[in-house]
Amino acid sequence: MAKPKISTDWMCGCAGCHMSLLDMDERILQVLELADLRSSPITDLKEPDKSGVDVGVLEGGINNTANEEVARKFRQRSKILVALGDCAVFGGVPALRNFCGVQEALQRAYVDAESNEPGSQIPNDPELATMTKTRAIHEVVPVDYNVPGCPPDADIIFYVLSELAQGRKPELKNDLLHWD
Amino acid sequence: MTAQKITIEPVTRIEGHAKVTIHMNDAGSVDHAYLHVNEFRGFEKFCEGRLYFEMPSITPRICGICPVSHHLASAKANDMLTGQTPPHPANLLRELMHMGQIIQSHGMHFFELAGPDLLLGFDSDPATRNVVGLVSANPALTVKAVQLRKFGQEIIQTLAGRRIHPNFAVPGGVNKALQASERDGILKGVDAATQTIKVGLQIMKDWAEKNIEDINKFAVFPTGYFGMVTPSNGLELYNGNIRLIDRTGKELECFDPATYLDQIAEHVEPWSYLKFPYYKKLGYPEGVYRVGPLGRLNVADKIDTPMANEEHKIFKTLSGGRPVENTLHYHYARLIEALFAVERVQVLCEDKDILSTDILNTRKNWTGHGVGVLEAPRGTLIHDYHADENGKLTKVNLIVSTGHNNWAMSNAVDSVAKTYVHGPEVQEGMLNRVEAAIRAYDPCLSCSTHAIGQMPIQVEILAADGKLIRTLQRDSA
Amino acid sequence: MIQLTINGKQIEAAEGITVLAAAKKAGIEIPTLCAQKELTPFGGCRLCIVEVQGFRVPIAACTLPVSNGMVVNTETETLKNSRKFILSMLFSERNHFCPFCQVSGGDCDLQNAAYHEEMTYWPMQPGWNNYPVDSSHPYFILDNNRCILCRRCVRACGELVGNFTLAVAERGAASLIVADTNVPLGESTCIKCGTCVQSCPTGALIDRTSAYQGHEKAMTQIKSVCVGCSVGCSLNLIVHDNRIVRIEGDWDGAVNHGLLCEHGRYDPMQNTHDRITTPLMRKNDKLEPATWDEALGAVADKLKPLAGKEQAGLAAIASTRLPVETLAMFKELFGDGFKSGMVTSTEEGWPTAVLNKVAEKTGAFEGKLDVLRNADTVLCMGANIAKTHMVAGFLVKRALPKGMHLIQVSPKAGPLDEFADVTLNNKPGSDLALINGILAVIVKEGLGRNPLAMPDAETVIAEALQATGLEAEKLAQTARMLAHAVSPVILFGKGVTAQRDEKLVQALIKLATLIGAVDSERVGLLSLKGEANSVAAALFGLDKQFSLDGQQAIYVALGDDFASKSLVQSLEKAPYMVVQASYVSELTEKADIVLPVTLWSEQEGHYISLDGRVQKAELAVHAPEGVRANAAVLAEVAMRMNMPVKQDWQAEVHAKKSSVVLSK
Repeated sequence: MAKPKISTDWMCGCAGCHMSLLDMDERILQVLELADLRSSPITDLKEPDKSGVDVGVLEGGINNTANEEVARKFRQRSKILVALGDCAVFGGVPALRNFCGVQEALQRAYVDAESNEPGSQIPNDPELATMTKTRAIHEVVPVDYNVPGCPPDADIIFYVLSELAQGRKPELKNDLLHWD
Repeated sequence: MTAQKITIEPVTRIEGHAKVTIHMNDAGSVDHAYLHVNEFRGFEKFCEGRLYFEMPSITPRICGICPVSHHLASAKANDMLTGQTPPHPANLLRELMHMGQIIQSHGMHFFELAGPDLLLGFDSDPATRNVVGLVSANPALTVKAVQLRKFGQEIIQTLAGRRIHPNFAVPGGVNKALQASERDGILKGVDAATQTIKVGLQIMKDWAEKNIEDINKFAVFPTGYFGMVTPSNGLELYNGNIRLIDRTGKELECFDPATYLDQIAEHVEPWSYLKFPYYKKLGYPEGVYRVGPLGRLNVADKIDTPMANEEHKIFKTLSGGRPVENTLHYHYARLIEALFAVERVQVLCEDKDILSTDILNTRKNWTGHGVGVLEAPRGTLIHDYHADENGKLTKVNLIVSTGHNNWAMSNAVDSVAKTYVHGPEVQEGMLNRVEAAIRAYDPCLSCSTHAIGQMPIQVEILAADGKLIRTLQRDSA
Repeated sequence: MIQLTINGKQIEAAEGITVLAAAKKAGIEIPTLCAQKELTPFGGCRLCIVEVQGFRVPIAACTLPVSNGMVVNTETETLKNSRKFILSMLFSERNHFCPFCQVSGGDCDLQNAAYHEEMTYWPMQPGWNNYPVDSSHPYFILDNNRCILCRRCVRACGELVGNFTLAVAERGAASLIVADTNVPLGESTCIKCGTCVQSCPTGALIDRTSAYQGHEKAMTQIKSVCVGCSVGCSLNLIVHDNRIVRIEGDWDGAVNHGLLCEHGRYDPMQNTHDRITTPLMRKNDKLEPATWDEALGAVADKLKPLAGKEQAGLAAIASTRLPVETLAMFKELFGDGFKSGMVTSTEEGWPTAVLNKVAEKTGAFEGKLDVLRNADTVLCMGANIAKTHMVAGFLVKRALPKGMHLIQVSPKAGPLDEFADVTLNNKPGSDLALINGILAVIVKEGLGRNPLAMPDAETVIAEALQATGLEAEKLAQTARMLAHAVSPVILFGKGVTAQRDEKLVQALIKLATLIGAVDSERVGLLSLKGEANSVAAALFGLDKQFSLDGQQAIYVALGDDFASKSLVQSLEKAPYMVVQASYVSELTEKADIVLPVTLWSEQEGHYISLDGRVQKAELAVHAPEGVRANAAVLAEVAMRMNMPVKQDWQAEVHAKKSSVVLSK
């Protein structure tokens, strides 16, 4: 039987959840025994297999149209979709931008900041993505498992991945459940 | 033949979200290549109205690879804002945490992010040109690499109780003293960490010997160099003045980082969310400079720990005494810094005050404005806060490490594209080299735009009228 | 007793208690958020809902009284799902960012409730309205984004403290915790007691000083006693790495039930004065560091020749913030040993001397602070309980809306006047006449509980009105109010005792007896005293008025106290001064020898509260190197004088007759 395929990606987050994944240290070798790691920010494959993967893991919330596309693609191609970390599950710290709105944030960063050259303008090249409200993944696509934490411990990520890789349902409680 | 645009999207094995567009001219050579950094979150705005003492907890969420850098820079800004000068033992502990950060970040970058290119080759199969491939190719080395990162992360965990997004530094000091058994635990790991870094150095040197041609033509260009130094111009990563030297190595400035607005400004381009800092007196782009390992080792006259100092002496000979301009030597410089950090860990742990409980000064001398600066793994990190008399932030300015390197990265992309990419048949390995140019700077694009993101890669070769000629995918599965 | 069943278990419960309380007594924990001991149940968070057989819907256990035959279930599937739903509604209503909140990770009841229900997310996102954050208060922040409107702060501020600063403005989703008429907390009627912060179950109220200092589970909790005044509130000190991170009131404390005032909770956390960390000796008119040996040697050399000289010898003055052990030693050394004629305390007996003088004849006559907890009428004389001994004041203030009558007696207007039923601003010096007048009215109208002969009552009344300048109707109203009281208390302070008038105190005792404030069941008469060890100082006879009268040297045992301006002035004339103190101050700058000593938290010691409770303050943190304990310094000095002290304070405190009954 072929090893289950896992794909991961990060959206509007900080990469901390992926760093926490790496924090499982040597246990990563165990995970690579159990599962086939496909696309991921740390490999050179760029998106989940068109033929589908068993588990899709997304870190980060959604704050632009590009993130929306990633989320939709992952939902479409993953049998099981995992929202990893507070940004993915709740919106997280980047959701603080919802209080001031995109325009005000852009104005402060690119026009008003004290270190900016006088006359600076907000970038507007069509190559750049369009900003939206910052959202949790479940606001855009259905999620099968929410793994909160900022970031969730390596122990939690190891548990979740190894359970899913072995066809079981992870249950998060006690030491495996924290929102900070 | 009509002009083409090649798009590389996303750039992988970096932190953050970048996209490269390569504009080809009629003759089939590269006209210009652009590095678009494509994400934005807005910390500088949404932190307005928050309390200053929340910032060491909020700003680490800018980046999960270097949260400690933000945490400490934020605490330093708060020290100045409240006038609470930390006692000496607190500074020792903060620097110890910072060294843990440097070790884990540099270690991870060399072995796991950039390593596959060096160890497996720029042109090797993209399906295995990553850390998973390294596991098969050299399991023993991969384990060592994992353990090196673990050593750094465990220092952070010992001090703060967790590895990522710590709660440790507070205005005026830190919140937890170090126990003797914890200190001993850290010291036990020093030797193995040193050995692993030396293995890395040897790998780098061997590779450099075999690839000297690439080293000398891959994104080699002059810039200024910018980094923190000790009072005698030794390498310094936690606290000191900033030194800026020009392309010949001559000192242009040596200034108190709190006065950074007098020295540098940021230029904005419409095609990237990442701004371009530069030295005001020379203007943009004349005044661009590089930060991070290459920048810092060029700026420093020496390193105050012995093993790293020996390597630094060799490093200084690479360009006959002039500043080293080769982008690929970032990897070498990065390892020398990691060695310095491990040696520093030993020095700090052996300091007689490292176990002291005199770790917090609560006496305030309110100023309402604080600038906290240190050398994050990727370069000089600046946090600048203004608060009202009740402690609510009214203005926040952040210039984040990788940002200073923006012009250099763009230029590296441009230079490598022009050197290695020749149309119309574009090989995958050529494109990987363009990405490798970016990777050498170990960019933290989340940090630098205070944002992050990714998109699936697809290389589209378009005719000038936008008609799709060919598509190259790197994700075929 | 009521018989009911909870989760299949047969339980007996007292009539009138709630299902929540009954369950808890039986060892069954029902989750709550808005419930808090001693606060009127609010039933607002709905987390404690239970299923009761025969009831149409689940019902909050905190507001449901037990009844016979009730069958209750607390852990059904429906309830578990309901709790998850309730919690997710709470999270969705406001903006909860766990990642960077100071209480996240163990100190947040809301988060812990979510973990208990094994919640991994909330299904509805908030509306992203930015609720106000009030940062105007010097000690804490109010962040409305984290508030669950449990109203524990509002209830605590009103029901426990009696200050009623906090309230809820608007209704429904627009409800907001506000101060007064929605003014910034820093500009409100808040008295900075911090009870609201201690009550808050989330991160809505954040203590500034302890923010991000770490989680409680990683710290040590040390029970101790506040030495801010003579009330003797019980403390729960949260300590880590040899520093006090936060001071809290001990909810189980016998005296204060968790309450503290600004002086107990926040003053000790301020870092406004420099510590003295090495002995200092004056050389060439400058204070220079010296070794302990040098300094103590110099003290002995200078003071020894003065032993035995009652006049022109040594004067000694001790702070009443010092522990009993130290005061006993101080008295033994300088009083008994040196036989100095001027051995006293910084309080000079103003709050206490007259009381013990009276007790010599009558025996103990004061009661316990607890009498205020169910008093229906309080006569408060010569004391401003809104400013000093504030926790005692809370017990009075909070009872006023429930109908307690307050008679406020003072020569000047005061902050509680607007809440008092009767305010008597009698002329200075007329207190005795006033009390006699009240006695006379009661006797004349035949309202006394016990017989009291007063044939000249009419004359006494007339004299009283003359001396006090008060109106007849007011005097009568006061007398009747006291006489009709079911559980009256007479409370008096330094305004009375500083007159050093035994007759006045005796008159108060007489009044207390006449109105039934004192009987076999209770003693509704007590005085507030002054500082932490006012009582002990008085028991050791350290209650003389201080004056320098030709003494050649003075020893000041200041501890972590500060000398008043008048004391500093009088000590200016001292030819030679030795001071043992913790902080640099005006006084230490004028001393000849300065000996650095421990703070209240750096030493263990006993304190006798205003109502005779002998309580122990524990050593919570270790002093900086070079600093010595107060008692140890005196012991050394004593030894070098060849006057070793045996210090048997337990025996010493019982040597004199006291106005309060000493108890543990």
